[in-house]
Amino acid sequence: MATLIFPAVLILATLLAEALQSLVPALASLHGARVLLFPALLAYGSLALPLPGVLLLAFVAGMFWNLLTLQVVTTSATAVALKAPLIEISTGAHIFLFGVLCTLMHGMRPLFLRGRWEVHVVLAGFCTATLLLVEYLLLNLRRGGFDFSSPVWWRIFVPALASMLLAPVIYAFFTLLAHFVGYPVREDPRESRRSLLSPVEGL
Amino acid sequence: MNRLGVIALAIFLIGTGIVLSLPPATQKRLAAAVQNVVAPLFKAGSDAKNRVEAYATGVKTLAELEKENALLKGENQRLSESAQLLRGLEEENAKLRAALDFKQRSKFRLVPARVIARESATWWTQILIDRGEQDGIEPDMPVLTEAGVVGKTTTVAKRSAAVLLIADENCKVAVSIEGAKEQGILSGARTSTSQSPELTIRFLPKTVEMKPGNKVYSSGVSGGVFPSGLLIGTVLESPKARELDAQVRVAPAVDLARLDNVFVIRTESAPVRPE
Repeated sequence: MATLIFPAVLILATLLAEALQSLVPALASLHGARVLLFPALLAYGSLALPLPGVLLLAFVAGMFWNLLTLQVVTTSATAVALKAPLIEISTGAHIFLFGVLCTLMHGMRPLFLRGRWEVHVVLAGFCTATLLLVEYLLLNLRRGGFDFSSPVWWRIFVPALASMLLAPVIYAFFTLLAHFVGYPVREDPRESRRSLLSPVEGL
Repeated sequence: MNRLGVIALAIFLIGTGIVLSLPPATQKRLAAAVQNVVAPLFKAGSDAKNRVEAYATGVKTLAELEKENALLKGENQRLSESAQLLRGLEEENAKLRAALDFKQRSKFRLVPARVIARESATWWTQILIDRGEQDGIEPDMPVLTEAGVVGKTTTVAKRSAAVLLIADENCKVAVSIEGAKEQGILSGARTSTSQSPELTIRFLPKTVEMKPGNKVYSSGVSGGVFPSGLLIGTVLESPKARELDAQVRVAPAVDLARLDNVFVIRTESAPVRPE
């Protein structure tokens, strides 16, 4: 049962964080950078869940985020010529991006299972910065011309730093929850010691 | 990777492919469905925030109340004078219209709406309002406050609608400038936000003449979203000539970072769906 409850709670928490993102205002003094809540949750999910769970999280979270931020363009030359609205970043784009990011982060799971909490901190920052950078690159490709003025970098790296600061809180909360529901997010210390002593057996 | 992982990856890739191939109309419908789900959540959050703010601003000292009272008296005086002047102008306008046998081209109705959520993404500037299809709101309807233009509606759900702000690069408005015959296209910068909007008028002739402080109005091109004569902002500086055109920076008339109540301009032909 715990194998179902914990992933379900984690996925719901990620969706809730995405939905409540609009209640977190942008920081005007930091060039409009904003604190993003969900990338740290995505990073935690990628480390704590097995691959099928990670892919499910990426699919659901990617689709929901895409639909929440969907941009319909009616004034571009193509939209006017076709007499039909265009979608700036297609719904599947975020699913694919989240899928790639989460699968890459999932590769660090063995370290996470040994209790290395700092892995989550680094990956939360990596996930936030990569997500924002790829979103911005896609937007530039769509609109034409590349604008990399200083506000852009502020809006990529400040949220990444904020995610890294938030990550230990998210780690502590979900690790406690995992222990409470009996979901394994730590390797048995005896198991890991055995695998360190005989690495071939550990493989 | 074990067998289950391979199967999960295959399902993920197939699912992503299916979603990527969805037509824009379906994506819009899905976005409206998501908006329907999250709008009550935003509305509850916005109500709670308003109640806290009302309580915080409601507690005032006697000195503050006296100051506010004096300000309101002055404002009342000014408004009375303006109203008197406008009544005179209205009468004169009616007489002139009658003399010219003027027929109104279309009727507009203002639908009041409340902002229930601000933008959640970093690169797009939009808000969510608590009026939707049920109130006769449709995509591409202008949104404004008493101070000027705010933006236009994009994705419309049953009881909510997304509004793309004029600070966004995708919101383009045909504009005319007070004191100049020329027209241009106004849009936001790519890095523009509601808190630091950067509006620019492009495609102006290099010979255009204007002064900082001149008002910018929508020019109401045929088939466009915005009717003519809506205040958009004021010119910030003298025009800068480029290779083919001139550009000028504009400060928006509306404080886009502090939007609470707005109006949607609805044409009388737009149907209102029953509750």
